[in-house]
Amino acid sequence: MREISDQFDHPLRPTIVSVAGLSKKYGTVIALDDVAFSIHRGEILGLIGPNGAGKTTLFECLAGVQPADRGAVAFGDGYETARRGDVLFYLPDGIAPWPHQPVEWALQFFLNFFDGRHDLYDDVVDRLDVAPLKRKRIGALSQGQRKRALLAMGLLTPQPVLLIDEPFEGLDLRQSRETAKTLRWHASLGRTLFLSIHQIIDAGSFCDRFVLLSGGRACGEGTADELASLARSRLGVTAPADFEDVFLALT
Amino acid sequence: MSSLRSLSRPWIQLVGKEWRGLVVSRAWWVLIFLVGPLVGVTFIGAVRTYAEASGLGGTSAGVGEAFSPLDGIWVPTFVAYEIAATFLLPFVAIRLVAGDRQSGALKLELQHPMSPLSRIAAKALVLFGGWCLASVPALIAGILWKMYGGSTYPPELTSVVLGYLLNAGLTIALAAAVASIAENPSTAAILMLSFTVGTWILGFIASMHGGLWEQIAKFTPEAMLDRFQHGLIQLGTALVALVFIVTSLAVAAVWIRLGASTRRRALESAGLVAVAAILVVACTFVHLSWDVSENRRNSFSEADQKALELIKSPLRIEAHLAPEDPRRSDLEHGAFSKLRRVLPSVKVRYVSATSIGLFEQANTGYGEVWYDLGGKRTMNRLTTGEAVLETIYGLAGVTPPQETKPPFAGHPLVAAPRGAAVILYGLWPALVAGFGFLVSRRKA
Repeated sequence: MREISDQFDHPLRPTIVSVAGLSKKYGTVIALDDVAFSIHRGEILGLIGPNGAGKTTLFECLAGVQPADRGAVAFGDGYETARRGDVLFYLPDGIAPWPHQPVEWALQFFLNFFDGRHDLYDDVVDRLDVAPLKRKRIGALSQGQRKRALLAMGLLTPQPVLLIDEPFEGLDLRQSRETAKTLRWHASLGRTLFLSIHQIIDAGSFCDRFVLLSGGRACGEGTADELASLARSRLGVTAPADFEDVFLALT
Repeated sequence: MSSLRSLSRPWIQLVGKEWRGLVVSRAWWVLIFLVGPLVGVTFIGAVRTYAEASGLGGTSAGVGEAFSPLDGIWVPTFVAYEIAATFLLPFVAIRLVAGDRQSGALKLELQHPMSPLSRIAAKALVLFGGWCLASVPALIAGILWKMYGGSTYPPELTSVVLGYLLNAGLTIALAAAVASIAENPSTAAILMLSFTVGTWILGFIASMHGGLWEQIAKFTPEAMLDRFQHGLIQLGTALVALVFIVTSLAVAAVWIRLGASTRRRALESAGLVAVAAILVVACTFVHLSWDVSENRRNSFSEADQKALELIKSPLRIEAHLAPEDPRRSDLEHGAFSKLRRVLPSVKVRYVSATSIGLFEQANTGYGEVWYDLGGKRTMNRLTTGEAVLETIYGLAGVTPPQETKPPFAGHPLVAAPRGAAVILYGLWPALVAGFGFLVSRRKA
C-alpha cells in the first residue's frame, strides 16, 4: 500500500496544486492548522469532514477570497508560474449571486466574463436540467434549483481545477445522482474537481481520493484503500467495515 | 492592442452587469422618482420668487444682482440635487457596492484577475451614469426657463453643474469606500450619515472658532459646492475634490479585496490617505481660478483689477473681528476673497479673543482692520469692498480708477412657471413609475 505523500510527484497523475502549512485563525479559534495535501490532475478529490471542520475556510483560502495566516499554495504540471485565478475556480455554497437577474443572463455573464467554455454550454444546461430555470430570477429559485444553476456556472468556467463547496447540498436523491453523473462526465473531459462533502457515504462512493479534515487539521489523504490501510497501521484498527469507520478512526 | 481588447471585454461585461444591478435597484428608482418633484418644488418656487422680485424691483442698478438667474433660478433649483446627493444617492451607491458582497457574487467575481480599481471604477461609472439620468428634471427645468423667456449665461450655469457633478462624484466615491469597508449595508449607511453630519458639525465649529477649523472646513462638500454656486471655478478646489474622489475609490478598491488581510488593507488605506493629505495640501497652493459669473461677483471691476495688478509690494491685512461677526463675513466675501484672486501675495490674518465678538466690542482695538503695504501701515474700520480698495490705493499711492462700464443690470423676468407642475409633479413621476413597473415585470 502506498504511503500518503505530500510530495509533488504522483505515480499516476501529475500534481497540479500542492498545499503546504495552510493555517487560519478567527480570533482565538483555529480554523485551519498546518494543512498540507496535493491535488492531482484529472482526479475527483473529496474534502471530507464534519460541519465546522474548516472545509469552507480551506476552499476560500485556496481560492484567495479570504486570507490565510500562513502556508503556501504552489502549482505544477505546466502552471508553475500561473496566477491562482488561472488555475482554480471556487464555487461557494449557500450563495445567491445577482438575485434579481435570470439564470440565463448569469450563465452568459459567466461565459463572457470568465471567458468560459462556450462549447460545453448546451451539455451542461441539459445534464443539470437548467433549461426550465433559465428565465427565472436566481433569487426566486429553490435551494436545489439554485445549486444546479450555480453548478452549471461553475462547470462553464475555464480553470483546470474546480473547487465546489458541498455540490450535493439541497439536492434530492434523484438530483444528487444526476449531478454526480454530470460531475463524473465533466471530470472525464479532463477537469480536476475538488469537492467538499460532509456526507461521508456519498463521498466514499464518488471521489477518487480524499483529504480528511477535522478540527482544522488534515488527518489523512489518499484513496479509500490507502486511508483504510493508514487507519489500520496508524491506529491499530482491524479491518474497518466501511469508509465511515475509516473516517472515524482517522479523525 | 489585442491584449487591451481582451482586458477591456470583461470590464465592459462588468459595466453591463453593474448597470443591470442599478436598474433593478429600488433605491435608484426612488431617487429618480423623487428628484422630479424635488426639482419641481425648488424650480417653481424660484421662478415665482424671481417674478415677484422682478415685478417689484424693476431694473434699477442697485438691485441688479437680485435678478441674476444664477442666484434666482439655478442655485435654488439645484438645491434639489444637494438634497438628493446627501440623502438618496449614498443609499443607491451602498446598495450597488455592498449588494455583491451580501449575495456572494463578489466571491465569484473576485476570482477574475481584474484589478480591484477596475471593478470599483465600473461601479462608479454606472452610478455616475445613473446620477446623470436623475439630472434630466434639471434639464427640463432649464428648457422651461428658456421657454418662459428667461436669460441663461452658460458659463455660470456650467459652474453650478460642475459643482454638483463633483459633489455627486464625491458622494459616490465616499459611499463606495464605506460600503467596501463595512461588513453590511446598514453599517455603511450609518457611517455615511455620520460623515454628512460630521461635515455639518465641522462647518458649525469653523464658524464659531475660525482659524484651523475654518481652513479644514473649506474642504467639506458644502463649502466646495458653495464656491461653484457663486460662479467661481477654483482649480485648487476642483483638484481637491478629484483627490478625494480618487482616494475614496482607491480605498474602496483596497477593501473589496477579500483575500487580503485586514491589517494589510488598513495599512494600504492609511498610505492612500497620507498621500491624499499631501496632495490636498499641495492643491491649496494652486490659486488659479475663473470668475464665470455674469455680474463678476467674485471679482473687482476690470478697472480696479488692472489698478491692483500694478501693486507689486506684499500686502498684509490684520482684521480684529470675531469669526461670527457679520462684518468679517462682509470683508471676506466682499473684498478679501476678491483681493486674493488679483494679489496672490496678500496675507489676511484675523485676530479675536472670542467667537462671537459681542463682549469684545468695548475693547479699543476690536473692529480695526490694519493694512500693511510694503511697510506703510494704516487702519480703518470700514468693511465694504470700495472702502478696502480706497485704503489700499491710498497706501500704494495709486489713483482710484474710474469705472467706465455700467453696473450689471440683471435680467428681471415676470413669468409664471407654466407647465412645470404638470411635468415635474405629474408626468415625470408617472413616467418613472411606468418604467419601474415594466422593469419589475420583466425581472419577475
